[in-house]
Amino acid sequence: MQLFDRTLLRRRRDRAAPGFSAHDFLIRHASEDLAERLMAVNRSFPLALDLGAHQGALSYAPLPEDKIGAIVETDLSPAMLSGPEQKVRQKARPLRLAADEEALPFAEESADLVTSLLSLHLVNDLPGALIQIRRILKPDGLFIGALFGGETLSELREAMSLAEIECEGGLSPRIAPFTEIRDLGGLMQRAGFALPVTDADKLTVRYATPMHLLNELRGMGETNMLSERRKTPLRRATLMRMMEIYREKFSDPDGRIRATFDIHYVTGWAPHESQQKPLRPGSAKTRLADALGVSEKPAGEKSGPSEE
Amino acid sequence: MANATGDSQPGIDRKLLEILVCPVTKGTLVYDKERGELISEKARLAYPIRDGIPIMLPEEARNLDEESSPA
Repeated sequence: MQLFDRTLLRRRRDRAAPGFSAHDFLIRHASEDLAERLMAVNRSFPLALDLGAHQGALSYAPLPEDKIGAIVETDLSPAMLSGPEQKVRQKARPLRLAADEEALPFAEESADLVTSLLSLHLVNDLPGALIQIRRILKPDGLFIGALFGGETLSELREAMSLAEIECEGGLSPRIAPFTEIRDLGGLMQRAGFALPVTDADKLTVRYATPMHLLNELRGMGETNMLSERRKTPLRRATLMRMMEIYREKFSDPDGRIRATFDIHYVTGWAPHESQQKPLRPGSAKTRLADALGVSEKPAGEKSGPSEE
Repeated sequence: MANATGDSQPGIDRKLLEILVCPVTKGTLVYDKERGELISEKARLAYPIRDGIPIMLPEEARNLDEESSPA
């Protein structure tokens, strides 16, 4: 079963494209974070691919000119790529093409760096996409991804559920399930990345009203695109009740409401022999006991408290 | 296959052409300059290039067997 309707995602992004620059603060936030992460890596990247780039994510990152050579940007929505306000900080204009992260059109071992900011939470097959990304990387190539996860929009989810139960006597899927951070590390490892690292950056954004939050989500092209979503529009009474509940439960003393965006970062390297890795079992040249300055006991004899 | 006349061509950047493959078969693509398409023989699909942006989406591609082949 397909969880996400990718055709609908494309339409949402097409529609969001003209006004996207008013709603791209999370991408910009993530691209500044991305720049910091790249600066911590002591090398440059001749060819970088930015997948699901919206109107440019890596090309906006504040990086010195010699850090990245060419940037290739993809997005599912061609309209998004040719959007009005390209925010390009890099000197070389990025090359653009429309592509789906679920079926990437790049040759194996072609890129030195792959980045993807706030797009991969909407693929149906995240493990498959990660495997494709690892294959596209040259040996010792780097992948840095950011995706919405965990607690993202937990307030909206709760308010919506309560309102639906109250007004319609049931629930419908409205907000996507997000990947938990503990799952991401495992996915990276299974996709064959070396030295995978995951971490989260939880942001609280405040809005005047829940309606402002919904408008922002629409502007970002992030409104409900679950395949199983209810095809009839949300009833007005339910929407009103949702906003009431949201206000009651998640507003600050000044009346503004809180919304959580939980951005999860994943980093991993395409394997290369120069990377640190565990030695083969039995290949040690020094005895652990010597290193620890203790006497070695035969196997089977527990040195700690017995387990009986 | 790759057009060697340089990067200034409005069609497609040469660097890009070197790393692009068919998203369905991961096989090589042939650049048809006349029609402005990237052709995947294996998948029998031609991916259009619109305003200099290659559209590497199978649902947007032209099926090579539907119109052009006489037999």
